Amino acid sequence: MKRLLSGLVALLVLVGCSAGGGETKPTDNEIKVYTRDGSSGTREAFESIIKLEALTSNSAETSSNGDMANQVSASPAGIGYVSLTTDFAANKLTPVSYEGVVPSVATVNDGTYKLARPFSYVTRAAGDFGSEDKEALVVAFLDYLVNSTEGRQIVLAAGGIVDVEQGKPWAELKVNHPIVEQDNSAIVLKTGGSTSVEKTLTAAIESFIPMAGNFKYEPNHTGSGDGFKRVLGGEKDGANAIDIGFASRSFKSEETVDAGLQSGVYAKDAVVVVVPESNTSVTSLTAAQLVEIFSGKAKTWGDVK
Amino acid sequence: MNTQWSQSYQKRKKIIDVIFRSLFKLAGIVAASMIIFIFIFIFQKGISVFLPSYGPDQVNFWEFMTGFLWRSDQKIYGVLFIVINTIVTAFLAMLIAFPISVLTALFIVKIAPKPLDKIFITVIELLAAIPSVVYGVFASGIIVGWVDNVAQLFGYSTFGGRSMLAVVILLAIMVIPTMTSLSIVAIKAVKPELELGSLALGASKTQTNFKVVLTSAKSGIFAGLILGLARAFGEATAVSMVAGNKPMGPTWNPFDITRTLTSTMLSGLKETTGVDYDIRFSVGIVLMITILISNLVIHRIKKKVGAEGQ
Repeated sequence: MKRLLSGLVALLVLVGCSAGGGETKPTDNEIKVYTRDGSSGTREAFESIIKLEALTSNSAETSSNGDMANQVSASPAGIGYVSLTTDFAANKLTPVSYEGVVPSVATVNDGTYKLARPFSYVTRAAGDFGSEDKEALVVAFLDYLVNSTEGRQIVLAAGGIVDVEQGKPWAELKVNHPIVEQDNSAIVLKTGGSTSVEKTLTAAIESFIPMAGNFKYEPNHTGSGDGFKRVLGGEKDGANAIDIGFASRSFKSEETVDAGLQSGVYAKDAVVVVVPESNTSVTSLTAAQLVEIFSGKAKTWGDVK
Repeated sequence: MNTQWSQSYQKRKKIIDVIFRSLFKLAGIVAASMIIFIFIFIFQKGISVFLPSYGPDQVNFWEFMTGFLWRSDQKIYGVLFIVINTIVTAFLAMLIAFPISVLTALFIVKIAPKPLDKIFITVIELLAAIPSVVYGVFASGIIVGWVDNVAQLFGYSTFGGRSMLAVVILLAIMVIPTMTSLSIVAIKAVKPELELGSLALGASKTQTNFKVVLTSAKSGIFAGLILGLARAFGEATAVSMVAGNKPMGPTWNPFDITRTLTSTMLSGLKETTGVDYDIRFSVGIVLMITILISNLVIHRIKKKVGAEGQ
């Protein structure tokens, strides 16, 4: 027992020494970089928009948007990025302007705020839906989602960024879609692709179902990459085939969406860089400055030029 | 007539015996096959990413085992520093929790006055019943604040208190109830004759408690240590909430963020696909092997402890 105890004490001393002596002492205002885990779409969007090649290894991972908001607000020298839907004041966070543009629904809509990504959609090719009724229903739904005031309002309320003013009342658009007047309870509409679009999309579809003959809805969202694959790509006739695919980014050039019956963007999502309220030294950052910070080149807030 | 009745009774008894014996055997086989099924499934999936049949995303086994960088966004997976981090945090937690648990158990069984020991046992049982996510919320709300303050005294700035030290404190609190309750059972089971003999030979009460009671109860106490260590290694939810998940390592500074095997498996699990998902099974294998090895080490220590007099 004595020998065990002395062994443990020796171990403790050893650990203590290596802890104290091994590392250089970081200065007090060293920037604390917070990021999301590698599978996060927000992280992918953020890194690709600011063109960050390699994130610093001295960064902490957070598990979700809310977790990020909490952790950054608790870290005086912290910096992170969250969705525009975050309640900045309640989390004691200051949203930072990107390239001098204040993040807001208006600046995202007019295209001046560049740290934004589109919610894109693409459908199966014409005549490939299995039934004409289904094809007509998909067209009707997309018209509702993209063009109607009601659809836009629901998307906006669920966190997507759209300009409601530009929409037309559904009553006006409805006349082009006789399909919504009949009983569609035999039709099953399947969507898939990005998980980020799910909240806005589900809200829109659920409001649309009672107006369009009570069709059935099956969401199966697994990631942006699957959006194209399952309507036009390699998995279009597989077990996971869907009618409308979504991506929370622009479709890539190798994703040939022109083959689909329809494709486009129904809303946008903005990523906002945030610092805790106590940090009053930054109000606006450029892409180059963000790369400096997130790649670890700028160690302290004083290094950020 | 009488012998006939006896024979049929004997026969019936035998049949019932056989039925129940096979029932128990079946229960045993079901229980044992669970672990085998789990192991086979995890192993199959975990090993598949290293095989050429996996395709273009195949991971190099050697780089995986000896790597000091975990960047899932760049498809770089190195697990060695994570293993070191996991072992260091778990053993530091044990270093705090083991003496506290054993001394608490000794106090409850041998020293505390009667009404007090009932209260203590209830408190320990309540502690064991708290779900780990509650500990995690407590840690990410309270412990990180303490750690941040301590770090400021030393002139360090932390990631809001998320650090190796916070993980160690959290794990120590979490394993104390497990280890204490098993130690209580073990100490209660020590034969009173042994103690009386020691006292009769002139040893004081404290000498008896440490030299006789604890050494006699060692196998139960070490069973507690093994279970506690397994909990410290395997705890995922609470640890992920305060670890910070540093992508490189190993972490030696207690105020720096760390990454453990379980927090690696958990981070982004819900959204990920492909090799990034499958590699979590490989990490699971590494975790199981780490726990196995540490259990064997503890068994060896157990044989050494208290064996001086024999």
